[in-house]
Amino acid sequence: MPERGDAIVRHVVTFGRVLREVGLEVGPGRTIDALRALDAVDLTRQEDVYFSLRQTLVSRHDELDLFDRAFLAWFLRAPVMPPARSSGVTQPAARAVAVPVDRLEEGADEQADGDPIELGASAHELLREKDFAEMTPEEFRRIRRLMQAIARLRPRRSSRRRQADPRGNLIDMRRLVRRSLRTGGEPLERAYRSRKEVPRKLVVLCDVSGSMDAYSRALLLFLHAVVGSGRGVEAFAFGTRLSRLTPDLATRDPETAIDRCTEAVVDWGAGTRIGASLKQFNDVYGRRALTRGAVVVIVSDGWERDDPDLVGREMARLARAAYAVVWVNPLKGNPEYQPLAGGMRAALPFVDRFLPGHNLRSLEELAAVLAGIERRHAA
Amino acid sequence: MSFRTIDELEAALRDADYLPDRGLSTALFLALALEKPLLLEGEAGVGKTEAAKSLATALGARLIRLQCYEGLDVAHAVYEWNYSRQLLHIRAAQEGTVSEDELFGAEFLIRRPLLEAIDSEEPVVLLIDEIDRADEEFEAFLLEVLSDFQITIPEIGTIRARRRPAVVLTSNRTRELHDALKRRALFHWIGHPSIEREIDIVRLRVPGIPERLAAEAAAFVRELRGLDLSKPPGVAETIDWAMALNALGRQEIDADVVQQTLGSVLKYREDIEAIRDETLQQLVDAAKAGSH
Repeated sequence: MPERGDAIVRHVVTFGRVLREVGLEVGPGRTIDALRALDAVDLTRQEDVYFSLRQTLVSRHDELDLFDRAFLAWFLRAPVMPPARSSGVTQPAARAVAVPVDRLEEGADEQADGDPIELGASAHELLREKDFAEMTPEEFRRIRRLMQAIARLRPRRSSRRRQADPRGNLIDMRRLVRRSLRTGGEPLERAYRSRKEVPRKLVVLCDVSGSMDAYSRALLLFLHAVVGSGRGVEAFAFGTRLSRLTPDLATRDPETAIDRCTEAVVDWGAGTRIGASLKQFNDVYGRRALTRGAVVVIVSDGWERDDPDLVGREMARLARAAYAVVWVNPLKGNPEYQPLAGGMRAALPFVDRFLPGHNLRSLEELAAVLAGIERRHAA
Repeated sequence: MSFRTIDELEAALRDADYLPDRGLSTALFLALALEKPLLLEGEAGVGKTEAAKSLATALGARLIRLQCYEGLDVAHAVYEWNYSRQLLHIRAAQEGTVSEDELFGAEFLIRRPLLEAIDSEEPVVLLIDEIDRADEEFEAFLLEVLSDFQITIPEIGTIRARRRPAVVLTSNRTRELHDALKRRALFHWIGHPSIEREIDIVRLRVPGIPERLAAEAAAFVRELRGLDLSKPPGVAETIDWAMALNALGRQEIDADVVQQTLGSVLKYREDIEAIRDETLQQLVDAAKAGSH
């Protein structure tokens, strides 16, 4: 490497900084790899230089675009185009979410030692039943930890990994053989293991269109808590199109998380195209088998602006791959509600469980259903 | 065998009947030069697994493949003790003459792909296929193996690789992999090949195919990829289909023969149903126009 001269080293180090500025994670290890790679290839071939840098500095498919743009700008001195997104962020939406969260944070500390779940006194009982649409920011603050506790109840599946368990139902052959030594090969002393349980994949698709406005902030808080409950959770928001929220929600601080979500969702509070959004999900994420074996939860009132038939078709695709499909509809909290909306009617045949989601009590019910859900439809 | 330049490796891969694009050749070359695992991602059917197999052929190395799945554990990936043989051995021996050391010795060890790869005398290409299907716990374990290239068996001790195997991991991105694993590996995304390269691939893999048929088949598949399908066909499907067309003795494609053989290109019923009658005729026309 030394004979390559300092110029290349400087070049690559600066390029690494450029990449970090556009959001790629380029640590010193990667920069060293890039230099080693350049040392191994023919520097006069632009293509080889491009791939050497790309393969050492980029580790995700969705960063390729950013890399290409930075490479063009840095090495080929092409004019830099602004990143494609960021234009469609609507200001009113940002306000709608940011306000309650600010207040949520104020009381977070004093709340720290009291466990709200045990404060099951009448005041909290009332809060449990209260419709999210009618809650004040102060009330949201008080229910936050309860939400986290509910979110921790995840559906589980049994893994093929095992653990020693005297009451298990699988024989631990390694230990059995060892013990049989003492008894001349007779397996008198049995050792048992059992299968370990691990959380099942969970995918949540949350409707953030205008008709769901009253519930969006509560449900986003819930989503944040669910994503924080461990690995294997994917969260999406949709209105007229789909946005993946998992990376934005994966931060500890709910305020930051929800701010980021507001930026990520371009069509906050707009119309609903459930069918088109589900199609986008099936095409992009279903094809990568994200859905396979997962419990999929859709949170929406089922008001479809476009074609209800598309909702039915895409629900069928979704249900085929998923372990189970749960539909949460805040409107169902009203005892007189009937699923008459076209999209809702088209979706229902493919839904395993249909639940309300308008207050804490109903989220608890959701958590209980998720914890015990079984595959209902045939594969 | 080792390669001093990307061109040398490319030539060797071509001899192994694999036509990589420059990006993939560079990735494989760097994986060898930097002794780092290579993570290949891309749509199904773009030739991720094939790349590892061809690398093994080009290197004259043994290919060891670990197919990942949900619940894959150490007993199936690394090693397992042959318990029934152990028990029989204790019974056959005189009472009290069998020691634990003897019982947990190499003779009773069943080697699985990772141990095979680490402990191999000959050069090895280790293919860890569809790593995204394995549990995260397994991924963490794999990361350890790929850092140290050693495996510890409590009863025997630590086994170190005499020479590092070339490691190729593939993922269909059903979930994000651990950052730590990604940091350790080179990353290459394989896209669908250009039309010219796909024609070359078809002609290489389907010996004796008429030039025109190869070109039209590749062009038709490219048209299919432009549509909104549940599962767009990969190169593997193009090859299968070209074989079928060639076996039928065709010189070129037409709507009838496409209709009969569409099942080797499209794997979902709704996709096949979406391509019929007028749509199919249009695609055939477009493919013929595009291939001249």
